[in-house]
Amino acid sequence: MIAMIARIRPDIWTVVLLLTLTVIAVLLVWPLAGIFTASLTDNNSGEPTLANYARVLGHPFFQGALINSLIVGAGGMLGAALLGIPLAVLTTRYVIVGRDLLATLAVLALVSPPFIGAYAWIMMLGQNGFLRAPLADIGISLPPIYGFFGILLVFSLKFYPFVFLLTASSLRTINPSVEEAAEGLGAGAWHRFFRVTLPLVFPAVSAGALLTFVLSIADFGTPSIVGGRVRVLATTAYNLFTSEMTGNPGLASATSVLLIVVSLVVVALQRWSVGRRNVAGAMIRRPMPTRLGPIASVVAHAVCYAIVLASSLPSLVVIYTSFRKTSGPVFQPGFGLDSYARILREVPQVISNSAIYSLIAVTLIVILGTLIGYILARRQTIMAGFLDGVLLVPYVVPGVVMGLAFVVTFNVRPLEITGTATIIVLMLFIRRLPYAVRASASILRQIKGSIEEAAVSLGAAPGHAFFKVTLPLMLPGIVAGALMSFITAINELSSSLILYVGRTMTMPVRIYLSVLDGEFGTAAALSTILLVTTGLAIYAVFWVSGRNENAFV
Amino acid sequence: MARVDLQHIGKSYPGLKALDDIDLVVNSGEFFTLLGPSGCGKTTLLRTIAGFNRHDSGQVLIDGRRIDNMPAHRRNIGMVYQDYAIFPHMTVADNIAFGLVTRHRPRREIAERVTRALDLVQLGGHADRMPHELSGGQQQRVALARAMVINPQILLMDEPLSNLDAKLRVELRDDIRDLQRSLGITTIYVTHDQEEALVISDRICVMQSGRVHQIGSPHEVYSRPATLFVASFIGAMNVIPDVPVGTGGTLQFGTGLQLLPALAGRTSVTLAIRPENVILSGRDAADGPAIALEGDVNKVTFAGREAFYRLTCGGTLQILAHVYRPDQRQLEGVGTRLGLAFPLARLHAFDAADGRRIDLAP
Repeated sequence: MIAMIARIRPDIWTVVLLLTLTVIAVLLVWPLAGIFTASLTDNNSGEPTLANYARVLGHPFFQGALINSLIVGAGGMLGAALLGIPLAVLTTRYVIVGRDLLATLAVLALVSPPFIGAYAWIMMLGQNGFLRAPLADIGISLPPIYGFFGILLVFSLKFYPFVFLLTASSLRTINPSVEEAAEGLGAGAWHRFFRVTLPLVFPAVSAGALLTFVLSIADFGTPSIVGGRVRVLATTAYNLFTSEMTGNPGLASATSVLLIVVSLVVVALQRWSVGRRNVAGAMIRRPMPTRLGPIASVVAHAVCYAIVLASSLPSLVVIYTSFRKTSGPVFQPGFGLDSYARILREVPQVISNSAIYSLIAVTLIVILGTLIGYILARRQTIMAGFLDGVLLVPYVVPGVVMGLAFVVTFNVRPLEITGTATIIVLMLFIRRLPYAVRASASILRQIKGSIEEAAVSLGAAPGHAFFKVTLPLMLPGIVAGALMSFITAINELSSSLILYVGRTMTMPVRIYLSVLDGEFGTAAALSTILLVTTGLAIYAVFWVSGRNENAFV
Repeated sequence: MARVDLQHIGKSYPGLKALDDIDLVVNSGEFFTLLGPSGCGKTTLLRTIAGFNRHDSGQVLIDGRRIDNMPAHRRNIGMVYQDYAIFPHMTVADNIAFGLVTRHRPRREIAERVTRALDLVQLGGHADRMPHELSGGQQQRVALARAMVINPQILLMDEPLSNLDAKLRVELRDDIRDLQRSLGITTIYVTHDQEEALVISDRICVMQSGRVHQIGSPHEVYSRPATLFVASFIGAMNVIPDVPVGTGGTLQFGTGLQLLPALAGRTSVTLAIRPENVILSGRDAADGPAIALEGDVNKVTFAGREAFYRLTCGGTLQILAHVYRPDQRQLEGVGTRLGLAFPLARLHAFDAADGRRIDLAP
């Protein structure tokens, strides 16, 4: 029938819409406009100028950063695809023992912060890393960890689960009859894979790969810790802004805008590829994994477990390290709880800060996100379409840029909140809001609109119908969205790093600073606390969403 | 029990007239069906009555009272959906009780009325089941009970049988009809299935592109279609477009020119005849005047209690003829030439330009 175009009536949803628009204007549009303006302003005279862009685009220093960002993005994407696609094919097509365990470990690798991986790899493969010498003994000599090798290693092992989970879920929805039909028409195994199977899963693969690209170029912690002399746009913008001698907001802003533009292009590509994703055909039969011969089976298991264990290695190293005996920053033989004692003694506040900020942000996110999700899914107005587009922005804008935008914007009355806990909470809120919106909109799309209408026709007022019928049905989706927001909020590094002051320091910031100071014990203990918290949250997501790894993608 | 007046209802979406000056009356206790192809506006009209769509112009009256500005939840209208719209997190009993709870009825009364409603739809003993434990047909019965239990002034049904398989559809169709009769509740029913509409309705309103083509009893819309659209949408129809008309209304078609005064002044007309009214030579003879022509059999379809002949007449014209009880006679083979007769009494004529019915008989 004809699509229903709801009018804007002065009801509860109009209020929500106005509130949402205000939030977006203040926390998103204004800061980004601020950074855009700063990029077009001369630092000293305050006059409008294009000089910042001329320097960013013309100077080899910045060109190098741009090229490095693209290399890191493309390399991360390629590495993730090379690990993710084989893992997806093997686990969906063949009998692999412990498939669920593999998926869980992959998810764990995905949600743990990348900078933890970065310094764990330094401990393993750095100049004095405990794996470097043994590997050299058996004839494997690796390039130095600092530089492209380290960055790409971390990104590949960190982001491959996106490609893996998206591809695997797509592979599971291919009707096996299609492949059998190809076989019946005389296509051999390779021919069949490249001409039938791959084109069918390509949209999922490309979506996962491009997502990896965006996250790779946005990531600040990894290149900063393990990048060595490799400068990327994210670290360049941060350094330009924070270095006390040469602090240059104009150039930092222009670099940020450049970073946004690159992300935007890639996200547009990703949306385009997802938009073309064809709807799965009639699922008459589900594909059944086939059993491999003994040798092939051993090889397949070895490949799967090698990939997943390599990506879990950093977490294991971190946990192991946190229990080593230390004396000050120096490790001693044996085990102990020295590092934990130390963080409780020296920085107990960062733990409570992280917990409190994340919980407040998530509470706000859940309340507003659920209501916005409702508008997106149920009100096909122009405003809803606009909101859908605008809420992509936090995905696109890297944390460093968002942090800079907040600092340049919220330092004047009446919103002079730089240096407060409020600014960090608001940052977490706006950056993670889209998770909850998406979770709530997607579960609402599975709840038929007629159900709520039926309640209304039975005499329930619209608000009553929503709380009585729709909300209970949405609850699992809301909880999953809240947990996802929580996981990403408590692990947030880059924007917090720009916004924190001494008393508003969070765990990721403290970990980052500890790593830079070489205090690996403290960093490991804090990271372990983060990892365990994150792991518990994942377990909870599995529990409410019925073991659906794709809740994380 | 209530009478519904729709007066000049109009509704436009950008680039689309969804409802174009709809003017009709549904009588108290009547089973009234809105019939048409998808996109004709029938669901939009139903949702306008329910209060889920706001119309741009015109008014909706129930028992003479305007309800245009009354919110949907105050209208006391029962609604049954194509996708059942059962609350999946509530038991069958809680689903049915929902409307009574929102009306703050005493607990004892609710329990009583829920039990009675369940018996009415033959689901006694299913009160504590969850919806997912029920079949589609049972879920739709729950939806029906839920809509009925609040004693609505009007019952609205939006393609309630479309998601069910053929056998259940017929069964539930008859049950809905019986229930509606026994309770005497005014019912407006939306469907795109013309056969369903013919079987179930007191009156049918045939719609297309937001306009009403005809309102009448099933017998009327079938035997005296008001427009060419109604003629072709309901049942099977042979349509013969652009038949030339001579001076004084002489039909220039087939053998034996027929003088039809009703066609006087026209140069062409569209003729139509249902397959069951086409008479094949050697079968029943036509009583009264008829157009005669010849055709070659090019396809014979045998379907047990009936058979269909497809014939080509005059090179291009395709005519479908319906034969009853084909088992009792020899069927002609493909290629046989047969005489056809179109009895004038069964022939429909429509304006060649606007498709309106022209009454041939005085």
